[in-house]
Amino acid sequence: MNNTFVKIAWRNILRNKKRSLITISAVGVGLGALIFIWSFAEGAHNQMINNYTSYVIGPVQVQAKGFQKNPKLETFVKDSPAVLNIIRQNPDVAAVSPRIQAEGLMGSSDSSMGTLVIGVQPQLERQVSKLDQRVARGQFLDEGDDNSVIIGKDMADNLGVDLQDKIVFMSQALDGSIASGAYYVKGIIQSGVTEIDKGLAIITYSAAEELFVMDGKPSQIVVQLHSASKSDAVAEQLRQALNNPDLEVLPWKDVSPVLQQWLDYDNTFIWIILIIVMIVVAIGIMNTVLMGVLERTREFGILIALGTRGRQIIQMVTYESVFLGLIGTAAGLIIGLGSSHFFSRTGIDLSVFTEALNSMYMESVIHPDINFKYVWISSGVVLLISIFVSVYPAWTASKLKPVDAIRSI
Amino acid sequence: MALIRVENLSKTYITGKNIETPALRDINLTIDDRDFVALAGTSGSGKTTLLNLLGSLDKPSSGSIFYEQQNIAQLNEQQVADFRLNQVGFIFQAYNLINTLTALENVEYIMLLQGVPAAERLDRSRDILKRVGIEKYINNFPNQMSGGQQQRVAVARAIVARPKVILADEPTANLDSRTAENLLDLMLELNQERQTTFVFSTHDPMVMDKVKRIVKLKDGEIIS
Repeated sequence: MNNTFVKIAWRNILRNKKRSLITISAVGVGLGALIFIWSFAEGAHNQMINNYTSYVIGPVQVQAKGFQKNPKLETFVKDSPAVLNIIRQNPDVAAVSPRIQAEGLMGSSDSSMGTLVIGVQPQLERQVSKLDQRVARGQFLDEGDDNSVIIGKDMADNLGVDLQDKIVFMSQALDGSIASGAYYVKGIIQSGVTEIDKGLAIITYSAAEELFVMDGKPSQIVVQLHSASKSDAVAEQLRQALNNPDLEVLPWKDVSPVLQQWLDYDNTFIWIILIIVMIVVAIGIMNTVLMGVLERTREFGILIALGTRGRQIIQMVTYESVFLGLIGTAAGLIIGLGSSHFFSRTGIDLSVFTEALNSMYMESVIHPDINFKYVWISSGVVLLISIFVSVYPAWTASKLKPVDAIRSI
Repeated sequence: MALIRVENLSKTYITGKNIETPALRDINLTIDDRDFVALAGTSGSGKTTLLNLLGSLDKPSSGSIFYEQQNIAQLNEQQVADFRLNQVGFIFQAYNLINTLTALENVEYIMLLQGVPAAERLDRSRDILKRVGIEKYINNFPNQMSGGQQQRVAVARAIVARPKVILADEPTANLDSRTAENLLDLMLELNQERQTTFVFSTHDPMVMDKVKRIVKLKDGEIIS
């Protein structure tokens, strides 16, 4: 019996092809746009995470307990060689690099300013971060460059220094003595990220060990993974492997919750767009089905007069919505996945916004990234909406009085 | 033997600002099994209203309609649907076929609701369409058939489900006289062959010539 109701519903869709096509287009374009927006956001978010983690913090960090909340020299990773060894044994770990980190005052003959200094092992640092790739002028550090420093462009401008110029750093060492060192600018970073360009100075690990009297006492160990998306899982694995209450293993979102909060905030906007698109889709389908029902009042009257039950009328009308929803969803999947796939290969060039994008850890060209979780959510919601909005027209049709309905034109 | 018994039946429509328009007043009527009867009268006499009440397409304002001893005026929504499905066949003035179904599918539809198996449904539909002379058009949609052909399909649809009574509301009104006469002859044959009761509402003299009995209505009352 259902086959006949399905047949009637399908033929009713074909009966007014133009109207059905408009509805299907509305659903298709709406869903397609939604899938594309998700993919674009996913691509942009992944870029932000990758850049954010690869510039400085890395996907995972191992720190001494308390360093995250209150970073000070006294809170260093004890027995670092053993810790490094355990971390390297994890198959998801691509590289590790210990760092010494401290705050202090950087000065030139003209000016001085507060800065964050990190001491890195140049070879290892190249494997865990992209800082070396952001050197706009000069060169990144090499092993043995203990008298050299890399600074950001804004810092160089503020201090009024250029390549090969000397700058002086002052802080307090671990033993309480004055930590003071003079360094020559070997490279100037231009990343577009304010914190890096304005507030970061990089010296070699050995120079930092000497400066802060931190021999073999790294402040943090930066862990690079084969896949940054596994940061949570690998952090948990390392936590268990290290099994050391004096250490904290932190995925990037714990090291810097701001980015995660920003991503959550951004996702909220996408959900708002989703709701708006859903409302448009719902109104489109309901309009078509309701118009179809009102137009066929007489026909429903005949069906009821012939003995068709109310629930069978509801079934018939619902099938129409389901068909519209299914075809619209298929069209939306083709539009959304097709456009996302196309632009994931070519990228979307937003060079006109380079400065703004870089400040948010994005690049000028964004490659959409299809996340099927969101594709299925969007498609499922569109389908459910298409069924849900048929309830009112279907109920209206089922409650028609045959004698009145048959009289209607 | 009485198939339908109408007792003190009245129907009043409320229109506009509570304006009461009586359509039927205190009707008493008996229709026998295998009858071939016409409810005749001018426009506004109440014949279509009476036919609609007999088919439970509408509810009376007062009175009773007994169909084989059961008062159909008191049936609930489900029971009314069952009654219409299994006991009554309808033929409408404007044919009222389902536009999205072919002639064959239109005829099958009621049997489908009744749960008749597919093979039997198909056999019976083909047989009846052949009987009404539409075998060439079984795969045509209503808009691909003439008025006479559509009304034949409507007759086939009404009779194929084997109802005891067929209610025909001015079935010849939209047909030319030759087609109308053929159709009436067909219904008369079916009345005799299948012992199906036919009740017409009409003001067509040709129908009144063919029927066995005429019930005349005027201003909502039976006058003869």
